[in-house]
Amino acid sequence: MIKTVRIFGILVCLGIAAAAIAQEGHPLTGTWSGDWGPTLSQRNHLTLVMSWDGKNVSGVLNPGDNAVQIPSILLDVTNWTVRIETDTKDASGKAVHITAEGKLDDIGSYHRKLTGSWTQGTTKGDFKLTRD
Amino acid sequence: MNTMKHALFNVLAAGLATLLTAATALPQQSFSTTYDSSREVKLQGVVTRVDWVNPNAFLFIDVRDASGTVANWAVEFGNPLELERDGWKANAVHIGDQVSVDGVAARGEMRQAYAKSVILTKTGKRLFTPAARKAAAPAAPAPRWPDGQVRMGPPAGKKGYWGTASTRVIVDNAAGKVAMSPDGLLLNLADLDKVAPFQPWAKALFEHRQRTFLKDDPLGRCLPAGGPRQFQMPNGFQFVEQKELGRILVLLGGGDRNWRVIYTDGRQQGTAAEQVPSYYGNSVGHWEKDTLVVDSVGYNEKFWLSGNGLPSTEALHVVERFMRTDMNTLKYEVTIDDPRTYTRPWTAVWTMQWVPDQDIQEYFCEDNAESTFIR
Repeated sequence: MIKTVRIFGILVCLGIAAAAIAQEGHPLTGTWSGDWGPTLSQRNHLTLVMSWDGKNVSGVLNPGDNAVQIPSILLDVTNWTVRIETDTKDASGKAVHITAEGKLDDIGSYHRKLTGSWTQGTTKGDFKLTRD
Repeated sequence: MNTMKHALFNVLAAGLATLLTAATALPQQSFSTTYDSSREVKLQGVVTRVDWVNPNAFLFIDVRDASGTVANWAVEFGNPLELERDGWKANAVHIGDQVSVDGVAARGEMRQAYAKSVILTKTGKRLFTPAARKAAAPAAPAPRWPDGQVRMGPPAGKKGYWGTASTRVIVDNAAGKVAMSPDGLLLNLADLDKVAPFQPWAKALFEHRQRTFLKDDPLGRCLPAGGPRQFQMPNGFQFVEQKELGRILVLLGGGDRNWRVIYTDGRQQGTAAEQVPSYYGNSVGHWEKDTLVVDSVGYNEKFWLSGNGLPSTEALHVVERFMRTDMNTLKYEVTIDDPRTYTRPWTAVWTMQWVPDQDIQEYFCEDNAESTFIR
């Protein structure tokens, strides 16, 4: 038990240290995680994987069985703002439109941030994403 | 119970040590990140400590101001390997010596300076100055193997390695001369477009790195100098040609004793997508008369192409041409082809000089004075 606790603790710390690895290419490329919601207490988890192919940034929102493909994500490099627009379905299968507008901060950091407004259907809120 | 406490202590100690290591590894920051060239400083004080450690040697001196208050300053004065090459040792100055320093102050409020001169007050002797260089004799021809091929390393029975590069930054040859500091800060940001044929995002990111004085350079976190930057590091490199194995090893002195393999056994290069992304890529080489031509793909995105902050992506394709034009000169020509970052392939050229009769000295990127006195 003690040995397990010790190994777990070291692995957690190593994980934190290992996470501090740079990504110095396109600032949006990579896996981002965070949440969105209309209030501080009502939050929904977000995982967003973005990739740059030389002409277009595309994304996958919440990878897995209910993944949402995002064919194009717009990045305005004059002010590092990002616009995301896509469609998903709610629990009843009804189509829901998603629009998000955010600003990229700490672009030199390996844990850069993307924050802004998030609208899903009729619900408006904010979102926060950090690059893993 | 005591055993459990001990186990918890071990867990916390191991974790703390790991986090501290990650947090303090900042020894390879560029000059412009640390110092403000416009802030000159004159200091007189008593030496309290001498740190003769890679990559930067430091003196610590107690300086008394006009009000009588004493403050301890950290004074950086060079790279120990280069200082030793010039005949200097750590014992040129001792704790308790009075010194005068002319230098450049660090950015922010840190009591830190980079010394342009250090003078020992009691003798008036100027310390840690470069040795006078002898006039270069005409270089011998490039050495060759018995089969006539140019040797990239030392002649048989000799020692030596490739030393300082003629530049520490990469600029598109087509641009002509672009004014910048030795560590790559543009003197005029209007020259951004001359540096390389950037895609818009890459230009914006490059500009951000320039405007923030290159402070996010991954080299500052002891990560390897990947891609062509490996040939611009201060401690040189060596080729080890293993003809019987069909490969050339490149031993890099400027990182953590890193190495790279160039396969010369005739194998075909794959695509970038087939490779496990790495700092040096997958390299295959062949000879075109006296030129070693090396094709590399499979790079990761964890490094800057050079000290001035050029970005790249996993689509990077590099073609290098190594030409040993005489015993002492290696011409290096690199073509950068990364369509996700640049609008066309582009080429940069620089040279390296042979350091005869010596081996690469030990160098590790590690915590040193710079990270121990932060206050």
